[in-house]
Formats: sequence, C-alpha cells, structure tokens
Amino acid sequence: MTGADIEARVGADDSAVVARLRDGDERAFEEVVRDFYPSMIAVARGYTRTRAVADEVVQEAWLGVLKGIDRFEGRSSLRTWVLQIVGNIARTRAVREARSVPFSSFESDVGEPAVEPDRFRGADDPYPGHWRSYPTDWRTLPEERLFSGETLDVVKQAIAELPENQKLVITLRDVTGCSAADVCDTLGVSPENQRVLLHRARARVRATLERHFDG
Amino acid sequence: MAEPLGLHEHGYTCREVVDLAAEFVEGAMPAHETTLFEMHLNFCDGCFTFIDQIRETSALSARVAEDSLPEELKVELLRAFRDWKRT
Repeated sequence: MTGADIEARVGADDSAVVARLRDGDERAFEEVVRDFYPSMIAVARGYTRTRAVADEVVQEAWLGVLKGIDRFEGRSSLRTWVLQIVGNIARTRAVREARSVPFSSFESDVGEPAVEPDRFRGADDPYPGHWRSYPTDWRTLPEERLFSGETLDVVKQAIAELPENQKLVITLRDVTGCSAADVCDTLGVSPENQRVLLHRARARVRATLERHFDG
Repeated sequence: MAEPLGLHEHGYTCREVVDLAAEFVEGAMPAHETTLFEMHLNFCDGCFTFIDQIRETSALSARVAEDSLPEELKVELLRAFRDWKRT
C-alpha cells in the first residue's frame, strides 16, 4: 500500500475511528496505535536524544490523546491532531533537556544546491546551466537491483545522515506516508518551507543513490 | 556528451529545472509554469531522468522498513486504555 492510500484510508475513517475510541473499543485503539506509531516516533525522535525517550514521548502523547479525545472536532485529520500533541510534548522535553530544536534553526541551510553546481555548464559555455552529462536512467536498471535490500539499506543510511529537519520531513512524507498538510501542521512550517526541506532531503538521497548505482 | 537542443528557448535551464523539481513533483507549480516546465522535460533527457529519479527516490523511501511498535509499549498503552475506559 502506498502512502497516499494509507492517507486516504485514515482520512476517510477518521470519524468512525474516533467514535470507536470514545466507545472504548480496544481493537480500534490497538490498530490506530500501530498505524500512527512510525510517524509519531519520527516526530518524537526529531526532538529527543534516544529512542527510549522518544517512546516515552509517544506514550505520554497517547495519554493526552485519550484525555482530549472528546474534544477532537475533526478540523484536522486525526493523525495531524495526534502528531501535534507528540510535537508539543517532544519540544517541551527538548527545551527541558536543553537540546536544540531542529525547527528553530532551520533558516541556516538556505541555499543548499539540490545537485552539485559543477554538474552544469558554466556561464562561458554556449549552453550555460545545462547538464554537462546526463544522469543515468534508472529505468534501465534491472528491477531486482533497483529494489534490492542493498539499495534500501543505502536509502535508509542516507536518510539517517540527513540534517535533523530534512530527516524529519522526508521520514514523515516518504517513509511513513504523511500528507504535506500533516507535516506543516505538526512542525509549524509553511508549505513552501516544507517543500524546500523535502526537496533537499530527496536530492541528497538521490545523489547517494546515484553514487551507489553508478559506482 | 549530450548536446542541448536550444532548451533555454523553452524558458528554463536544466539547473533551474532541478531547483524547481519539488514544486513540480508536489503539484505546487502554477499552471503556466507547469506548461513551460513540461516542455523542457519533453526535450531534455537529462531533466526527464532527474525528475524520474526524484520520484524513484521517494518510492524507494516508502519501501524502507518503518519503526514498528515495541511490544512493551503496546502492552502499556493497552493498560492505559483500559484504565481510561473505567474512568
């Protein structure tokens, strides 16, 4: 199932799920806890030092969700609402632990190029700004190479090495399948900034994949 | 080396296309710019490939295994849910 499918499914079922949670339906709770966990832990990890602390944040967030579920009005998706609670708790803890909060300093990487500038022809070339040589067409790669476990390890490692704010955005959008709106509302960033961070993150992972496939 | 086909006449250089890739892929580009952008892609194999790679990167990220819910946390949360139900 793709991220978009999950998004559509969760979105459409929100009011039904909320009603079941309010009724104390344990199975519904377990399902939603499992479904939301990857995006919740990603947000929590964006602001906390260890996985253990991040899990505590997730746990605390669910207690907050249960406490407030009667007041959920469906103005945002259930997932956005839950992720906002995670973000608030995680940020509070980060401040308490005097840890830097990724989205307070995210102006600092403005201007990072998506592709190394020397891949393009210079101003003195008859075709300035055009590729010196084209990137390799991945559609010519055998599928078992493109989708191999080794390739996925490369992707995972490349994501792990991204700056915190880029890592958070690409994990939420591409790995866990959150919508752009979910991410903007959870992290308090504008749609433009969300897109810039996603673009830089994808561009860096792309560059790592390119070295992997070409090497 | 690939020879461009007078692509700058179509409004964008390859370098600009690369910078605008997210806007295009995310469907956030205004219609008139999209037309010019797609025209560039029609003529430029390098940029067509780059956009394909960005989409492929996103698709590969979606296949990376997500962190799964630890069993102990599930047990604790279910206990909390039962307590909450009683109150």
